[in-house]
Amino acid sequence: MKTITILSGKGGAGKSTLTASLSVMLANSNKIVSIDCDADAPNLALVLGLEEEDFDSWESITTGEKVEMDLEKLETLKLRSNSQYLKKCVDACNFSAITWNQEEDIPVLNELLCVGCGACQLACPEIFTLKKVENARIGVGKTQYGFPIVSGQLEIGESGSGKVVNEIRNNAFNIAEKIQADYIIMDSAAGIGCPVIASLTGSDYVILVTEPTSVAFWDLKRAIELVDHFNIPCGAVINRWGINKDLTYQLQDYFRNQQIPLLGMIPYDIRFVEALVNLKPAVVYEPKFKPIFKEIMDNCLSDMNDIPL
Amino acid sequence: MKIAITGGKGGTGKSTISTSLAVELAAGENKVLLVDADVECPDDHIILSTNRKKVQDVCTILPILNQNKCLKCGDCSEICKENAIVFIKDRYPFIVTGQCNGCGACILACSSKALEKGQQEIGAIYQGKSKKSNQISSENLLLIWGEIEIGCEATALVVNATREYAENIASDYDYVLIDTAAGTHCNVISAMIGVDLALAVTEPTPLGKHDLELILQLLQLMEVETQIIVNKSDIGDLNLIDDVSRNKNVPIIQKIPYEREILKKHSRGQPVTHNNIKKLSNAITAKTVGGRH
Repeated sequence: MKTITILSGKGGAGKSTLTASLSVMLANSNKIVSIDCDADAPNLALVLGLEEEDFDSWESITTGEKVEMDLEKLETLKLRSNSQYLKKCVDACNFSAITWNQEEDIPVLNELLCVGCGACQLACPEIFTLKKVENARIGVGKTQYGFPIVSGQLEIGESGSGKVVNEIRNNAFNIAEKIQADYIIMDSAAGIGCPVIASLTGSDYVILVTEPTSVAFWDLKRAIELVDHFNIPCGAVINRWGINKDLTYQLQDYFRNQQIPLLGMIPYDIRFVEALVNLKPAVVYEPKFKPIFKEIMDNCLSDMNDIPL
Repeated sequence: MKIAITGGKGGTGKSTISTSLAVELAAGENKVLLVDADVECPDDHIILSTNRKKVQDVCTILPILNQNKCLKCGDCSEICKENAIVFIKDRYPFIVTGQCNGCGACILACSSKALEKGQQEIGAIYQGKSKKSNQISSENLLLIWGEIEIGCEATALVVNATREYAENIASDYDYVLIDTAAGTHCNVISAMIGVDLALAVTEPTPLGKHDLELILQLLQLMEVETQIIVNKSDIGDLNLIDDVSRNKNVPIIQKIPYEREILKKHSRGQPVTHNNIKKLSNAITAKTVGGRH
């Protein structure tokens, strides 16, 4: 069983489009599980034609805590102690979640910024308690293309998307073991931060998706640095290559110099947008796209199998 | 006035609209501070082709163990929510730097004061002025952005530091525009603390719609006045966004079509000019949007 992770740095470069079509193509002759590791803004299921209510199950999970401030106890404490003592919790919070209200001489908690580290509780134990929160849901469903999908959804205003991604991944790995899957295809979040780092854990191969725009190029370089940091083999796909030919050539040169195999190029075509609007993977909506994704798949598999275990 | 440009989904045009709106506002003789709070992949400096001057390092706490004072009690490991301190009985605790989020709880928990406050660098704040003087009146427009160290997970801390840096100089500017990252989690929340108005940029696809609904829920929770901008408005199905606007009672303030000229400038990394962005800029200066404040 091998895990392929789709990554891009820049958002909207085409991760979900590629993941969906690649999954459909791979599933023709392999057992696969697809995972959406973008718990912030999960879109893979939609591209595969699955709305939230179409999933078989959704399960709430708890990967973190948040602190609660007892306002009554704060009032009593305010009368009993000096503000110097209460200011200790403001200093203790390194995440700017507790600020000092000058007028009322009290600390103010912004729960949205709280990561549940408990430092404030150590500083002022009288007024703070840590409470477990259900910060995300994990959904398991079956696509109409015959393979399962595992997706996550962070609850609004909750934090800890890296830990949520770990849970989504573990859940998917269990399913993959059960059905003895050949491949796990993982769609990651935009950026290069904690949810993306969590998706890279346990990946055997990374497909970097980019497009010929100078901003995507810049983000790609940061994404490559991250992948190198974790020492994971990777290949690249240039999406919408027709929108800027000069930059497409520059990208090709760049990949050659970096010794990153170019697995394939996807043209700019309005039919991709139409496919999205119709909730269909591109290769299903427009069969003429099949050879493009077949090439990417074949190149990816052969490059991945060249790598000694 | 502080305006956040956000949207949920990646690639809908947050940076494109932030930079061109900043350029429009600055051209109208307003002093504009543009803050790129997408610290994982900050792109605005590419679009505005600014210079790049580091103005501040961003550091967080890293506990350092003084073995002479350590009682090998394991309290530090017990308190750490990130499992960043490994403790085996009768041995000194071991700090896994890569796991540490810099909360400092272990330092507070250590009764013998064996853990001291060290520092780890997690990113930096940069500022830039546009080099292409023919396009942008660089006197009126300053860009600042945060950049996280590659491989580091403390995105929200770098966003916090960038926002706080901007807050300290905000009084010199008529408008502060904050360009957020994609998504809805802590780094986006941190970027939008204290804004007067949020512009949610979306695209008329089921994906754009789905993520727009998520970011609108977040903005409602944060009690921020919000307006929708539909980018690439002539591809896909506009009804999708009209429905969200109606159901959530959040108005669509501007639509920007998918034009060849815009695409060309975007691919070259240049600020986009479009009449509808000029209109948006005029509406903001005339206070017909965000007028509540």
